[in-house]
Amino acid sequence: MTEGPLIVQSDKTLLLDIDHPMSTECRRAIAPFAELERSPEHIHTYRLTPLGLWNARAAGHDAEQVIDTLIKYSRYAVPHSILIDVAETMSRYGRLRLEADPVHGLILVTTDTAVLEEVIRARKIAPLLGARIDAETIAVLPSQRGAIKQSLLRLGWPAEDFAGYVDGQAHPIELVQKDWKIRPYQELAAEGFWHGGSGVVVLPCGAGKTIVGAAAMAHAKATTLILVTNTIAARQWREELLKRTTLNEDEIGEYSGAKKEIRPVTIATYQVMTKKKNGVYAHLDLFDTHDWGLIIYDEVHLLPAPIFRFTADIQSRRRLGLTATLVREDGMEGEVFSLIGPKRYDVPWKEIESQGYIAPAECIEVRVNLTEAERLMYATAEPENRYRSCATTRTKRNVVEALVEKHSGEQILVIGQYIDQLDELSETLGVPLIKGDTPIKEREVLFNKFRSGEITCLVVSKVANFSIDLPDATIAIQVSGAFGSRQEEAQRLGRILRPKSDGRSAKFYSVISRDTIDQDFAQNRQRFLAEQGYSYKIIDADDVFQGKI
Amino acid sequence: MEMRSFSDYLRSIDDAAFLELFSARPDLITPVPPDIASLAVRACSAPSLARAIDSLNQWQFQVLEAAGALNEPFTQKGLVALTDKAAAEALSHLISIGLVYPSEDGMRLPSQLRDVIGNEPAGLGPTSMIKLKLDDLDKAPTEATKVLERLIWGPPRGSVGDIKNPGPGVAWLLERKFLLPLDQRTVILPREVGLYLRGGKTHKENLVKSPVLTGSKRDERQVNLAAIANISTVLRWVEELLNFWAEEPADALRAGGLGVRDLKIIANHLGVDESCAAFITELAYLTSLISIDADDRIMPSNKFDIWLMQSPADRWQVIASAWLITSRVSGLVGRAEAKNVAALGPELDRVNASRVRALALSILNENPSLAPDLSSFNALMAWRAPVRRNSSSQEDLSAWTLREAEWLGITGQGAISKYGVIFQSGEDLNVINEDLPKTVDHILIQSDNTAIAPGPLEHEISQQLAIMAEIESRGGATVYRFSEATIRRALDHGKTGDEITAFLIKTSKTSMPQPLEYLIADVAKKHGKLRVGNTSSFIRCEDTALIAQIMNDKKLDVLSLRRIAPEVIVCDHDATDAMRILRECGYIPSAESSNGLLLSGPRLNRAQTKPRPPRVIGEIEIPTQELLTNALRSIRTGEKSSHKQTRLRQVANEALGALPRSTANETMDLVLKFIKEEKSLSIGYADNNGSVTHRIIDPIRVSAGALLARDHATGEVQSFRIPRITGVAPI
Repeated sequence: MTEGPLIVQSDKTLLLDIDHPMSTECRRAIAPFAELERSPEHIHTYRLTPLGLWNARAAGHDAEQVIDTLIKYSRYAVPHSILIDVAETMSRYGRLRLEADPVHGLILVTTDTAVLEEVIRARKIAPLLGARIDAETIAVLPSQRGAIKQSLLRLGWPAEDFAGYVDGQAHPIELVQKDWKIRPYQELAAEGFWHGGSGVVVLPCGAGKTIVGAAAMAHAKATTLILVTNTIAARQWREELLKRTTLNEDEIGEYSGAKKEIRPVTIATYQVMTKKKNGVYAHLDLFDTHDWGLIIYDEVHLLPAPIFRFTADIQSRRRLGLTATLVREDGMEGEVFSLIGPKRYDVPWKEIESQGYIAPAECIEVRVNLTEAERLMYATAEPENRYRSCATTRTKRNVVEALVEKHSGEQILVIGQYIDQLDELSETLGVPLIKGDTPIKEREVLFNKFRSGEITCLVVSKVANFSIDLPDATIAIQVSGAFGSRQEEAQRLGRILRPKSDGRSAKFYSVISRDTIDQDFAQNRQRFLAEQGYSYKIIDADDVFQGKI
Repeated sequence: MEMRSFSDYLRSIDDAAFLELFSARPDLITPVPPDIASLAVRACSAPSLARAIDSLNQWQFQVLEAAGALNEPFTQKGLVALTDKAAAEALSHLISIGLVYPSEDGMRLPSQLRDVIGNEPAGLGPTSMIKLKLDDLDKAPTEATKVLERLIWGPPRGSVGDIKNPGPGVAWLLERKFLLPLDQRTVILPREVGLYLRGGKTHKENLVKSPVLTGSKRDERQVNLAAIANISTVLRWVEELLNFWAEEPADALRAGGLGVRDLKIIANHLGVDESCAAFITELAYLTSLISIDADDRIMPSNKFDIWLMQSPADRWQVIASAWLITSRVSGLVGRAEAKNVAALGPELDRVNASRVRALALSILNENPSLAPDLSSFNALMAWRAPVRRNSSSQEDLSAWTLREAEWLGITGQGAISKYGVIFQSGEDLNVINEDLPKTVDHILIQSDNTAIAPGPLEHEISQQLAIMAEIESRGGATVYRFSEATIRRALDHGKTGDEITAFLIKTSKTSMPQPLEYLIADVAKKHGKLRVGNTSSFIRCEDTALIAQIMNDKKLDVLSLRRIAPEVIVCDHDATDAMRILRECGYIPSAESSNGLLLSGPRLNRAQTKPRPPRVIGEIEIPTQELLTNALRSIRTGEKSSHKQTRLRQVANEALGALPRSTANETMDLVLKFIKEEKSLSIGYADNNGSVTHRIIDPIRVSAGALLARDHATGEVQSFRIPRITGVAPI
């Protein structure tokens, strides 16, 4: 029995003891084929999934290497069934290949005719196929490249895509590293993506995903379409690209509600892409009008359904997805994987933190006791209003006031879900509010003032959940949220994770009403971050008032 | 004749030969026969011979078949000529186990043996009665050759349209007696012809050598590591299954066995597929760790608690031994072709299952460090135990045996492990205790509300944790998740929040994360806040002083009052009684309705039971014309049939009247008298249903309360029970 750092469980999870001296070495060895599921303080959980194993095959690892790695680091004997399963799963990859044929166009080729016979009989696959060419080859409708890959994956016979990508219209893009340097993990992520062709890069908020995008563009050296969540984010991308690359202002266009520019690098918002005019998506042909060499999906965990559908049709273009939290409460992770591509790079938040690229953060749950009247109101509220009634209690306002008071002098964000609650808070605290109907111009002005330190406190609605770059914010106070959304919690924490000039740690407060569903939702919301190793501290509102923290 | 000479042969052999015979055929001495003659009789009986034949391998069986094709007595030379040089060795084995025996004039077979191996050994027909000119066969016309080709390797029978009007080929053969007519439509190839055409050999191919077992080589260390992991897993599975059923017993199907749904639940709970789940439930059943009670509920038996206290090696030995010898085959559960074969059900027995297992294990044992390919393994199994009975399932059985041996850890990575070797040798399995990963006595609690036991946990701790947390992942380590529901479960089991926290702090190597501490405190605070109970009536009063007075009133003890809140008392008597007693003691209670209204005024009583009005007697409604005619018709029909019955009864009575009647004592006297006089008797005799028949008999003797007599009607000797004889009369 070796005293390895890894425990291979019979349900295909791998437990990595990170306090073990060999843990770093082991993590590097298993990272290519195992998916990181949770990374709390002591034991990280990885999982062997078919997707992960196929990814490893695609990256040139074979089953024997995987098995050797497992056996080498395993503390206990590796269950035989797992070894067999790994070998079997990995052998399924590559039996089907999508290739470009000079005569027949896109073809599906197999080395194992039985597999081909099996898949062409599948009900979902038959309509995507063209004529049978010979025993091992069948033509595929070129427009169905995405759909067939998706369906084959579901059948458990993933096709290796050798059909390649169109280069798109060439356009010179280089990184300009004068006063900054690309970080090692960013470079690894961009390379991992480029090597794999298409895929998703998962990095913590504040870890500089934009630069990964820019680096990918520098690899592609082609016209690029960037899809982002909102106009503010679009402007920030533009700023970053101007700062980090050789691109100049005329080469970057914005395609949003306000402007409709198409340039070699075009930044479009999801909102405009999914806007319907007379029942049709009026702007989706943006994908087609230009010969894009690269398409970047920012915050890919938010990708709306119509974009998914359209993405299936552009499988010959390189696609890069960027996100911090690949958890979708709607369970569409599988769609992201098959249509954008598999996860190409992932790293635990705490590791980036330990390298100093994101600020360390303290998560604090402040529990507020409701007054008798509030409890009664909560108890009698209609089920659909219960969360709102406990999340927006007046008592929370006092706590927020005390917290803002306590942290005066620091850059503070107060984040919430319900506009009337935020209106009240903005009034009580005497600070500006940014919400959905705040004009873009005004938002930019306020954000700029916040960055420059002219304003030290902002109340923001969910518009600020994503992509808002506020480097100096160190304190976030969350008063209400979108029920139990795990990714929202992570994204909100992300707003304050930019490393601080003085190395200070950030503080993330969640103000929660005790003994209500607010508390239950909070528990669910915290799960993602807890699994990333952020441990929440629970304090009482009285401690805040008495200045005990 | 032969029988005597077989016993003569047995009388002639020495002790060593006997021992060899007995060890090869233990049934001959269970029970030990009184003398050699009875031993010979037993050894020549068909069941014993069949059992002995089952122990042969394919080559030995071929030699036996060849011997069957020879006329007795035969010589070793003749046998070798029909087969192969190696037959000499096989022959001596056959002799040693008593399937062939030497007599003065040559080798002979026990007479019943031919019945056991069949009349057509090796597919050869009967010997022809006349001398045949076999050379003519070489000149056979094409049609005849075609016919011969069909019959040459057996079976030697062929059907023809009509024996009187055969085709040209058959006609040619029949004419020269190369085919013999068996009946109107069947012809048979004589043995000489068959052997001639086979080139003087009984078999197409003499399978002298056993096929070589192929497979993949395994590293011995890895094999043992994998096996010990399997052993710890199977022990864990059994324990978890039983713990699961201890909490939620499953219901057995009416037809016996475990339903598909319950099997799925088990499979899900253990994280295995259904065939493995069926295997585990069967293991628990075989070792009587579960019992099925009178209400068809499947629950752990008290043997489970004893089993849990044993060392892992002993626990493993219990289940592995039960598996090895059972005739039950869990692999049959849930196959597509037999959906309703249930685990723990009555349809799982297969007679050759344990034989296949024993043979499979010995083959594995002979090939250490080899994980055999299934096809090669089956080929070897077929050679070692050429299938003659229950043939269809042997391949399935051996595949399942390999699979189950792996689950049990007898093999690891498909090759025999050292534990499997020791298990078969019957030696001490203590090495399992030494090789199992050491138990750990701590867990690591993390801030995402999980706890990880980085190895097999000590029993006590794992029992405790199983109550407080849900198991999320199993294997070498165990991952537990705490949630509101699991903490509540622990509280329901009688733990307090502080106890849970203290236990976790004590057991965890890492510090207790604050959110978990809060979770436990929160749930504990809420737990038991809402209380539900039964009561018959309540007494409430806004004046707490009055309530206190009532509580302290000795006279009211009879009401067994309990104060559940400052203003509320509950009472086990119903409201009327409570009111009456309160009034008697000088209080002035008033009643409250179910929606809280004060009931004032005279109280109106209501019965609690469902009303059952009495039947109406008296006037009857006048029926309709239709009812009347129907009634009449049915009366007429009834009358007709009752008339018929009366007639029948009359006939029966008349017949009965003719029967002799006598008391039991008279009967005995008469019977004994008639036996002496050797005269025929007429008796009445009652059968099982009490109907009496008239018999004419010749009594022979009386013994043990029965009369032995010859019945004239059947001409057979039959025994009549004296109490059933209704009467006796001379003829």
